[in-house]
Amino acid sequence: MNVIGQPARQAGHNIEGGFDVERIRQDFPILSRQVHGKPLVYFDSGASAQKPRAVIDAMTEVLENEYTNVHRGAHYLSQTLTDRYEGVRETIARFINAPSEDQIVITRNSTDAINLVAATYGRKFLGQGDGVVVSAMEHHANIVPWQMLRDEKGIELKVAPIDDTGVLDLDAFAALLEGNTKLVAITHCSNVLGTMVPAAEIVRLAHHRGIPVLFDGSQAVVHSTVDVQALDADFYVFTGHKLYGPNAIGVLYGKADLLAQMPPYQGGGDMIAKVTFEKTTYQEPPHRFEAGTPAIVEAIGLGAAMDYVSAIGMENIAAHEKSLLAYATERLTAMPDIQLFGTAPGKAAILSFIQQGIHPFDTAAALDRAGVAVRVGQHCAEPLMARLGVDGTLRASLAMYNTTSEIDTMIDALERARTLFG
Amino acid sequence: MTIAVKKPAQYMEYVEALDFLDEESRFEYIIDIGKRADKVPFPAECMDDAHQMHGCMSKVWIIHTREDGRHNFRGQSDAIIVKGLVSMMTGSFSGLTGPELAEITLDDVRGLNLGALTMQRQVGMMAMLKHMQKLSSRADHAEAAD
Repeated sequence: MNVIGQPARQAGHNIEGGFDVERIRQDFPILSRQVHGKPLVYFDSGASAQKPRAVIDAMTEVLENEYTNVHRGAHYLSQTLTDRYEGVRETIARFINAPSEDQIVITRNSTDAINLVAATYGRKFLGQGDGVVVSAMEHHANIVPWQMLRDEKGIELKVAPIDDTGVLDLDAFAALLEGNTKLVAITHCSNVLGTMVPAAEIVRLAHHRGIPVLFDGSQAVVHSTVDVQALDADFYVFTGHKLYGPNAIGVLYGKADLLAQMPPYQGGGDMIAKVTFEKTTYQEPPHRFEAGTPAIVEAIGLGAAMDYVSAIGMENIAAHEKSLLAYATERLTAMPDIQLFGTAPGKAAILSFIQQGIHPFDTAAALDRAGVAVRVGQHCAEPLMARLGVDGTLRASLAMYNTTSEIDTMIDALERARTLFG
Repeated sequence: MTIAVKKPAQYMEYVEALDFLDEESRFEYIIDIGKRADKVPFPAECMDDAHQMHGCMSKVWIIHTREDGRHNFRGQSDAIIVKGLVSMMTGSFSGLTGPELAEITLDDVRGLNLGALTMQRQVGMMAMLKHMQKLSSRADHAEAAD
């Protein structure tokens, strides 16, 4: 563990006796607080996960004892913090099994990473009439950048449909690859439905036609082991704050040959090799895409979060979440007034639902009174809401620190909502 | 600041009622107001784009009328909680002149003592107030131009 002050305790969760959710909960200080006089039940990790002590301590340690700028100074602090910052790039590369840390571009978040690809790869390699295939269950972050490129370059946005259970229609997807398609940009895991798309098959079909694939892994990287080499993904993006790390830090993984061909994203310090008023030359990837002082403390925090998750073991987290999902699904489907959206096999622990006859906002208010935090609304996926035929849903997104008794609390609160609003 | 010019009776009634209630009871009180609002049907033809206040998590429609220089409002929402809140807002701040309405601030909204509200809903209520102020200002200007 690369976490000052905490390594031994944090690393112990996955040994002897298996996954111990109560011990994990002790690592997350916020989980001991109350909301409206009730214990906090945090089911909004899909929006942003809570932070373990290891992340808080790592960031505090940098701010208190190690802080300076990176990549600039010859002094001791700058050299040591630069080493630590660049060490995070190695941690990220290990976390997703990237071949090299040079293929890890540090961004602000997934949105930033997708915009980066659209603005660089997209502007250079996509033109009038070229197709970009997305799915019907994309987050706006993987829709709007391509629409902006459509407006600028005249590309075509092609949408692969899903069935009523939230499963991607793979035949329709394959058909969309024919003709003008030059890029696939698709979610690895739906932030609304929890659907895990058949990523390997998507890559196989696309690569058969020479089409590169970008995955939005914002949710998938939290709930499953991601191996970008096994996937043969061309681009893979995710954000730090859903992965128990801080916000304002994200990742773009890219294949080396693709990154090498891409022009800079933003101009400024750090991304240049040499600057004169006549001509500027740029750094090699990944620094070419990282203009300005980076989010140094946040990067250290993300590294700590990845170390924390790795010490527990993604397979242990996934197994725990799978049992939570099964329990929550069973309890919700037993309620006659609950309509659940997204029942794809192998889905992640994300449950979207509505309480029939009650506005989701009202249900969410009743849950909030019980201390249960869920997201309500369109979840930055308005086209998916239209596909589902609803204005919005409630979303309970589960994480490693959630328990079955918390699910019971939510069910009780849903029954109370029926009494209040029914 | 509190309302210096005029304290509408309905506003004071809400303030006094909520003052006696604990948080959970305030929550139920707002729901009751939302449910009671349906007893006087909101004109279906006014639940349209022209009357909709955009930018809310739930749909909100507001009807505005001006009579003898005083502004009256009626609100509706598809969520009961929001219906309660919009009813309290339109009830509290109807019957004022444009200048009186312009004097209302977030502190006056806070004066309703809606402790059960999250900040997001307080922001929503402020948006409702601004919307009402905009409607009244527009109507006053139109009247002056005639």
